[in-house]
Amino acid sequence: MRMSNIAKQIAPGLALQKVDERIMTLNVGPQHPGSGHMRIIVQIDGDKIVACDPDPGYVHRGEEKMAEYRNYIQNIPHLERPVIHDSCNILYPYCLATEEILHIEVPERAKYVRVIAAELNRCVYTLYWLAIYGIFLGHSTMFMWPTGDRELLIDLLEKMTGARVTHAYFVPGGVRNDLPANFEDVCLRQVDYFEKRIRAYADIFYDNPILISRTRDAGTLSRQDAVRLGTTGSVLRASGVDYDIRKKEPYDCYDSLDFETSVLKSGDAYARSKVPWLDMLESCRIIRDALSKMPQSGSVRVKLKPNPKGDEMTSYKRVESGRGTLGCYVVSDGKPEPYRVKMSVGSFRNLISLPYLLKGEKLGNMPAVYWSLNYWPVEADR
Amino acid sequence: MGTASGIIRALNSGAKHLAVKRFTLRYPEEKLKFVGDGYQFDPTSGLGIAGYKGRHMLFHDKCTGCQLCSIACEGIAEAISMVKVAEDWKHNKKAIMPQIDYGKCVFCGLCVDACPFYALYMTNDYELSSFSKEGLIYTPSQLSVKPAISQDVEITISERGATHG
Repeated sequence: MRMSNIAKQIAPGLALQKVDERIMTLNVGPQHPGSGHMRIIVQIDGDKIVACDPDPGYVHRGEEKMAEYRNYIQNIPHLERPVIHDSCNILYPYCLATEEILHIEVPERAKYVRVIAAELNRCVYTLYWLAIYGIFLGHSTMFMWPTGDRELLIDLLEKMTGARVTHAYFVPGGVRNDLPANFEDVCLRQVDYFEKRIRAYADIFYDNPILISRTRDAGTLSRQDAVRLGTTGSVLRASGVDYDIRKKEPYDCYDSLDFETSVLKSGDAYARSKVPWLDMLESCRIIRDALSKMPQSGSVRVKLKPNPKGDEMTSYKRVESGRGTLGCYVVSDGKPEPYRVKMSVGSFRNLISLPYLLKGEKLGNMPAVYWSLNYWPVEADR
Repeated sequence: MGTASGIIRALNSGAKHLAVKRFTLRYPEEKLKFVGDGYQFDPTSGLGIAGYKGRHMLFHDKCTGCQLCSIACEGIAEAISMVKVAEDWKHNKKAIMPQIDYGKCVFCGLCVDACPFYALYMTNDYELSSFSKEGLIYTPSQLSVKPAISQDVEITISERGATHG
């Protein structure tokens, strides 16, 4: 069975297929713990994957359509639902685009507060992802440690925003409340300890010969293929392409902060699992730098009129989320509600590469390759 | 690095944790302390005051029955409905006040942002479970009660690792 035959089917897995003597079709998901809320249709010859067809769409929530019936502020709580661990980053492009439509200039202090919240959120998401990656590979210690260390950052976000997840913190025009008193000291202390903790992951996970033997050279994505398939974020950077929106199109105050992007060359599952970890170390650096450069006083929010109306215009903004480039396209027709909100998410763009990566792999390598794509099913379906 | 030495290093890294303090929060016995008395909002400056977004608190002597909280909640959770109260306030001619269904509330706090009269705040109370769906609906008189809270555990970091309390 060749890839082109599968692509022609309207409903994958439902249409009649010519049965080959050697090939077996296996549905992984949509209720399988190793797939999340999606189905991966794999065709195997013995233990070898001949073809693979990812089938997302089981958790489609209609977020984009819902956004057309709510005003710019009411859109905030439901737009962060696709990735509740990374809710600040998924709201970030929406807020940036809405600010352009409403012609709002964000106060200087709010830009730094936003960057700190976004970087804390990126680490919280990445740790959750890493915990699941650990348990996928049968490494239960790697499930326990990130889940515990995540608590340090969730505690900080809770002090900052008032909620452990789904913060509803970013609004067009800044953030909803200023930092609590004494936050800088607590944040520095906990982020320093957090960095010490995640450096300890190297011994038990990233330098562990058992992990390396399972993920090294599994699902290799070459530099050319990574660009051709349109992958983003950690998948693209693991294939040796230095592309990070925080550096290439700096938003808010990223251009004044001192950090580097993490790039690895090999493009296999090992590199894809290591790049988010290197990103977390950089995030700690960004948070410390932002705390030192942040203006000590000043407003953090522009006061808006109730039901603000935008001009008739469109705006497209991109940010670097935990899963790659996250773009938001907002069309306004002069009413209090946006005419259209379209989100371009990193998860979906990374998933496209899965059939190419799994071809020729062993079936046992599937979880290691699949979850290394930094894929979040709910975000991809929106 | 050889395979054997790598495995020994990994095992050693785990074994070191025998000397590290326990990080787990023993929840019903211990409760995490939050900053402040809960999320509040100052309509004159248009800024919130940092705090935990838990169960609401309604001040009957300030609520005018303007329904702005209910309008803000439309399209978000539709948890707030305005109900009649048997109270006689000069500033609340219609005698209506918000009633909140915590089976629907998402704790975003945008109702607090909408209130121009400092009547609606959020408190640190998050233990709202009930045996029935009706038990999750809080009437204006239930919302006016200040919750009794004993939360005192904080994260402390020492040489032997981080702990709760």
